Amino acid sequence: MPYADLREFLGVLEREGQLVRYSAELLPEPDVGALSCAAGELGATAPAVLLDNIKGYKGKKVAVNVHGSWANHALMLDMPKLSSVQSQFFELVNRWERYPGQVEWIEHAPCQEVVIDRDINLYEVLPLFRIHRYDGGYYLSKACCVSKDPEDPDNFDKENVGIYRIQVQGPDTLGYQVATFHDGGVHFQKAERRNAPLPVAICLGNDPMLSFMAATPIPYDQSEYKFAAALKGAPFALTKCLDFDLDVPAFTEYVLEGEVLPGERVVEGPFGEYPGTYSGVRKQLLIKIKKIAHRRDPIFENLYIGRFWTEHDQLVALSTSLPLYKEVKESIPEVKAINAIYQHGLTAIVSTRVRFAGFAKRVAFRVASTPHGATFCRNIIVVDEDIDPFNLQEVMWALSCRVRDQRDIIFIPDTEGSVINPVAAKSGGMDRKLIIDATTHAAPEEELEDIVLIEPSEKVPAFKTLLLNLQKAGAPSTPASQSPACRGPRAGGAK
Amino acid sequence: MKCVRCWRDSASVIAKAPDGSGAWEVYHCTTCHFTWRDTDEEEVTNAKKYDARFRLDKRDFDQMRVAYPIQPTK
Repeated sequence: MPYADLREFLGVLEREGQLVRYSAELLPEPDVGALSCAAGELGATAPAVLLDNIKGYKGKKVAVNVHGSWANHALMLDMPKLSSVQSQFFELVNRWERYPGQVEWIEHAPCQEVVIDRDINLYEVLPLFRIHRYDGGYYLSKACCVSKDPEDPDNFDKENVGIYRIQVQGPDTLGYQVATFHDGGVHFQKAERRNAPLPVAICLGNDPMLSFMAATPIPYDQSEYKFAAALKGAPFALTKCLDFDLDVPAFTEYVLEGEVLPGERVVEGPFGEYPGTYSGVRKQLLIKIKKIAHRRDPIFENLYIGRFWTEHDQLVALSTSLPLYKEVKESIPEVKAINAIYQHGLTAIVSTRVRFAGFAKRVAFRVASTPHGATFCRNIIVVDEDIDPFNLQEVMWALSCRVRDQRDIIFIPDTEGSVINPVAAKSGGMDRKLIIDATTHAAPEEELEDIVLIEPSEKVPAFKTLLLNLQKAGAPSTPASQSPACRGPRAGGAK
Repeated sequence: MKCVRCWRDSASVIAKAPDGSGAWEVYHCTTCHFTWRDTDEEEVTNAKKYDARFRLDKRDFDQMRVAYPIQPTK
């Protein structure tokens, strides 16, 4: 793997033409949020941006849109930057089997080169900026938050690394939104029942593979660090926090060490969230920061989240699809792939081999009963194995030509949902599920039996290769001489 | 000073530009935790121009949902 931390990954991006350095002066608001949004909208090869001239924060570095395109995502996986989404998905599927990877601890870690333990003012230490105009304040939107199970603190695998939204409030306090069903939320509930604070380390500016895993829903007793190591194929370097028994990435840029306080709730929000809407204002958890450690010349990394397509959508695209696929595949091996890249999996498209009549419904119910799918997957589309679920043209064809009538559409009211989704917010997160069966039906369903699919000529793949090569070379085509059909010497002995 | 969002008299300066340029000040309300910078857009710094849909009044505070009800201790 050609990088060990965020800095080295930015070097990879720069060598591949995927990093823009921006040194013209910008206002914190609205410029930095606007630039972050713009970077994410530049498509499949959108670059990361490194800023170092924010007014009032001159010299402090900010990185945005690090995961913000399929090209950057491919480079995170050390794949060619134009790798297809489908190939990145299956590369991750294969690497997933390497779990657990190795971790190692180092002393005198770079992340602790500079320590601030008095007069902490987060607004002066971090180059903060408001992401959306009506956010309640400045948010840490890409922080890896580390905490341990208070009832099993020596179990490394239960130490959680999750990305949760954080609002900077007082000079040394944070509003912390971590849902009750998140592992970090479970840790806090256990601590609060004992009336004890929960130590937490907030790591900013991380190895992109750790951010990827911190955004991935995995079982409670599996380690994000070991998964990051497995996906990278190299040990993941950690160090101990200065004041708490927590493990943090040795090469992270900043570590904010603090405690989530029991019995305290603070007004937090709104924040422009992943459905593209502002969340409400609610009372959330409170973190008190005790100490800050950081590297020399640290890089503050933050993420634009909002109306699609954003760096957040990119970060959680395959990190949502992959665990869903793994869980469903375990009990239904006929499933070929799952595309749940839309708004944290609110819509999921599953391709499967259909073994018998009603099989697609079985698949959909399984997706809807996974831990993530139960909350998030509100639209579940099931297609045949001949459809690439990552290719929306193919999916739309299946919807157009394989959905019959109400027999292929199931609506389940009053299911759990995400309270951040505006259509479920007013009901406190209660939602519904929509299942669309866009597969070809197996016996005893007969209606499509007399349908004959057009099978393209077996020469099509060769012609595709030929045309792509010609396009790449910019050469004029000479079909007669280069046709895949003409494999031998041309008639007439042409030279 | 008065908070742009909740209009309570509970806001004050929380930070100044750390590079010493005097480029801006940040204000923070200890009631609703709204935070703004004097260089923010006028829709954010001017209470009269602040979008009414995001204002917080007594009713909002009274009815505010608690994401985590405080748990009884064992």
